[in-house]
Amino acid sequence: MKQGPDEQQLDVSLRASTLVAGGFMGDDLRSVTEVIDADAGELFRLGMTLKELASRMQEITDKAAPAQGLWVEIAPGREAQVDETRGSSPCPWRHQGRYFKRITTVRRKDSDEVLRWSDLGMHMIARHGFFEGKGSMFRLEPADLVKMLF
Amino acid sequence: MLASTLISILVVSSIAAALAAVLVVSERFIANYGPCKIIINEERELTVQGGKPLLSVLTAEKIFIPSACGGRGTCGLCKVKVLEGAGAILPTEEPYLSKEERAAQVRLSCQVKVKNDLRIQIPRELFSIREYVTRCTKIRDLTHDIKLFRFQLVEPTTMDYIPGQYIQLQTPAYEKSPAPVYRAYSIASDPAEKGIIDLIIRLVPNGICTTYCFNHLKEGDEMRLNGPYGSFHLSDTQAPVVFIAGGSGMAPIKCILHHMKNTQNQREAVYFFGANVVREMFMVEEMRQFESDLANFRFVPVIAKPQEGETWSGETGLVTQAVQRDVKNGVPYEAYLCGSPGMIDASIKVLNELGITNDRVFYDKFA
Repeated sequence: MKQGPDEQQLDVSLRASTLVAGGFMGDDLRSVTEVIDADAGELFRLGMTLKELASRMQEITDKAAPAQGLWVEIAPGREAQVDETRGSSPCPWRHQGRYFKRITTVRRKDSDEVLRWSDLGMHMIARHGFFEGKGSMFRLEPADLVKMLF
Repeated sequence: MLASTLISILVVSSIAAALAAVLVVSERFIANYGPCKIIINEERELTVQGGKPLLSVLTAEKIFIPSACGGRGTCGLCKVKVLEGAGAILPTEEPYLSKEERAAQVRLSCQVKVKNDLRIQIPRELFSIREYVTRCTKIRDLTHDIKLFRFQLVEPTTMDYIPGQYIQLQTPAYEKSPAPVYRAYSIASDPAEKGIIDLIIRLVPNGICTTYCFNHLKEGDEMRLNGPYGSFHLSDTQAPVVFIAGGSGMAPIKCILHHMKNTQNQREAVYFFGANVVREMFMVEEMRQFESDLANFRFVPVIAKPQEGETWSGETGLVTQAVQRDVKNGVPYEAYLCGSPGMIDASIKVLNELGITNDRVFYDKFA
């Protein structure tokens, strides 16, 4: 897929390790547009919108955050923990706002299966439809998210 | 056929070479901005060669503007006021500047190119910041994801700092980061040991600097840092003190306690230090030693939720709950906080409820 100059610059920025170690694209060779489009298609197949998904992620983070690192039950058989470190990051899409280095972990009690996202990751899904590239440490598969959160 | 192909290659090569020559000449004569003056705070004047970003020009002149990304326009931290000579705000700066900052002529110094004379304004304290070559002399595990790193200052050999301040540690280029980056860490060491900088660092998943420190840095390695930065410090009043910290937030409080010991400070002080489980609690013995060394100091370690099999006879629950149980009337107190933004917000709420007004609550969120 042909990319315009803005997309090319964004692609370079997401692959570079200026904000997080190893960047946001992992070892994914697709362009950022292709990654976003593929995940949008998958989400559509799952019958879910970005707004619904991001809203549920935010709800879980907000519910777990006041416990300051302790596990909080968010649904039968599922619990969440919000872990914070000092500092904040900007969004690679280069707009105003910084995102605390806060990581939400959701765990199934029966299987110990976990998913986790950062505040920045949650924002990138909500606003940019970007779940990160395959192989990235914080890559989230839309299907896994839907299965875990709903 | 062969001849015409060779001629074509020759022609194309000649055009490319000519264009390259034009670029070199242009760079030399058109993009040569010559010497430019930078007037800083109306009190200091630099004459520099134009053509480079303001951030690198200032760094070359040993004036260090805090920047985490090393000047690549991605962190938005290297803000300075440029009163004259910067031209219009660039698209690369726009995302990082609020309406108020634009009105106040704030710019990203890594994006402003020095092309002519500039008048800029920077905080005075930045003049005293230096870059240090250091050697890592000790790495000590404190918990499963927190380590203490000791750096011996090599050049210059000493640093004067106010207990509570922080430095910026430079991570060199490595496999996860193609260029050096800086991250801020509070100083944890005894300020009497002017040649030593201790940092308490918690591993951040995917963090460029913490990943380097935990997985690559070895005792004996050379590292660079610059500083000191920040305004977090113990006031010189005699008000009783509440310290609240968690995790790597231990660092500046420990430094302040060393300072209190060194200056035989008799202020009443209580330090609430929180961890989720017993295995995440650390430096208890050092803090108990401060209880012996300081006449009016108490250390209150708090475990949020001891796990099965863990032995714990101290305070339990959230650190803020322990503060509520212990401090009956907060009105005379000053509070000093260090930890995650969430912990700080929760602490401020509790402290306000106890009667400690915001002008007596001090913290450095590192946001």
